[in-house]
Amino acid sequence: MMNQSSLTLSELNRQVKDAIRDHLPETCWMRAETSDVRRNRNGHCYLEFIEKDAVTQSIIAKARGVIWANVFQMLSAYFENQTGQQFTSGINVLVRVSVEFHELYGYSLTVVDIDPSFTLGEIARNRQRILKQLEEEGVLTLNRELQLPELANRIAVISSPTAAGYEDFCDQLANNPGGLVFYAKLFPAVMQGDRSEASIIAALDKVFQYSELFDAVAIIRGGGASSDLNCFDSYLLATNVAQFPLPVISGIGHERDVTVLDIVAHTRAKTPTAVAEFFIARLTRTATEIISLEERVVAESQSRLLKEQTDLFSLSKELVHQSSLMIQREMAATQQLSGKMKYGVKHLLQHQAHLLENRGQFIRMVSPVNILKRGYTLTLKEGRIVTSLHDLSADDIIETRFRDGVSTSVITQVVPRKPLEKD
Amino acid sequence: MKKITYTEAKKELEAIVFAIESGELDVDALTEKVKRASELIAFCKEKLTKTDIELQKILDDIA
Repeated sequence: MMNQSSLTLSELNRQVKDAIRDHLPETCWMRAETSDVRRNRNGHCYLEFIEKDAVTQSIIAKARGVIWANVFQMLSAYFENQTGQQFTSGINVLVRVSVEFHELYGYSLTVVDIDPSFTLGEIARNRQRILKQLEEEGVLTLNRELQLPELANRIAVISSPTAAGYEDFCDQLANNPGGLVFYAKLFPAVMQGDRSEASIIAALDKVFQYSELFDAVAIIRGGGASSDLNCFDSYLLATNVAQFPLPVISGIGHERDVTVLDIVAHTRAKTPTAVAEFFIARLTRTATEIISLEERVVAESQSRLLKEQTDLFSLSKELVHQSSLMIQREMAATQQLSGKMKYGVKHLLQHQAHLLENRGQFIRMVSPVNILKRGYTLTLKEGRIVTSLHDLSADDIIETRFRDGVSTSVITQVVPRKPLEKD
Repeated sequence: MKKITYTEAKKELEAIVFAIESGELDVDALTEKVKRASELIAFCKEKLTKTDIELQKILDDIA
């Protein structure tokens, strides 16, 4: 047995090391999920690479990894800049690694490069998956469909209490130029890392208990550089926000990325300050509407009253004018009538007098006295006027009246006129 | 006036403004409406610019 060739552990490990070096390329691209990412005080980054079964989610492969400080500084900045996402645990990455085998420390992968676009793709695919699920459940647009009240100044703020962003938010609201009143009530939550999802949901549950006291919810997180957005691409958080009865305004401090939270939220703002500005702009518009309504009431009622006054004035002027005109007209008519009447009566009297005069004259003309004066006589028999020869016969005694006396005669002969000469 | 909400007050105010602007009100009705409108405006402005101490206290008391 002893003669049989055998190796010491170090010899074996060296052979493994050599085999790896000889049979594997110097570096290769590898897809894996990060786990247990940590940095030591020298700035080196140690982590685990894992792969999970797509269905069961159980870990089916695992390897230690390291990113040396000088590489990590460069790669992490590049990665965060490209993805808006910290290089941290729980993300899917595509990294170029060299496979190391050390006699003492064993198998590990040293990262030399990273492809952020793969992670971006993974994030996007993850978001799409969550959004699709929310849509299938019919909740995706529920919060967006809520109507923010006109008077939206009671705000439940979900934030880390110590975040600079929260302070900025409150300052911005308190110092709004219109002197408008805002009520910002903090519901503290962890806004970063693994615990944030559960913490934000717990805060939402608490706001829900007091929902009648608020007009809207602001989920804000202090700005700073790019940071971990993982928790905002969470299905659980998204479905809570989407179905929340108050409009949710997000301002989680990232410029480029639109997380699932942003998509399901009623309104998305980039930063806490932008959320405050949104509320201020909204309330300013509300106040402006009231002021413009007030101006319309004042303008309309003033112009209306002025018009009524003018109307009254011109009516009273018209009244005086018309009534004096009427009086004048009536006076003139009366005067004219009375003149007419005077004239008419006089005329009538004159006419009557004249008529009487004529009659008198006529009567005087035809009176027997006048007739006798003109040479006519009047014959009477036995005191009666004789108008025909038939009343007379011979030997009758007749009386003849003259202008100046009476004679008595005896008729000697009666000779009637021949009938032909009758007139 | 106490029971009314901001939205209700604003709606009523808008209706009054439309009525006034229609020019169909007589002066007596106009005066009534303007009086009511100024009450509503004061109410809305107070909601916008005066801190509701009672509400503030309730919010502060939420632990």
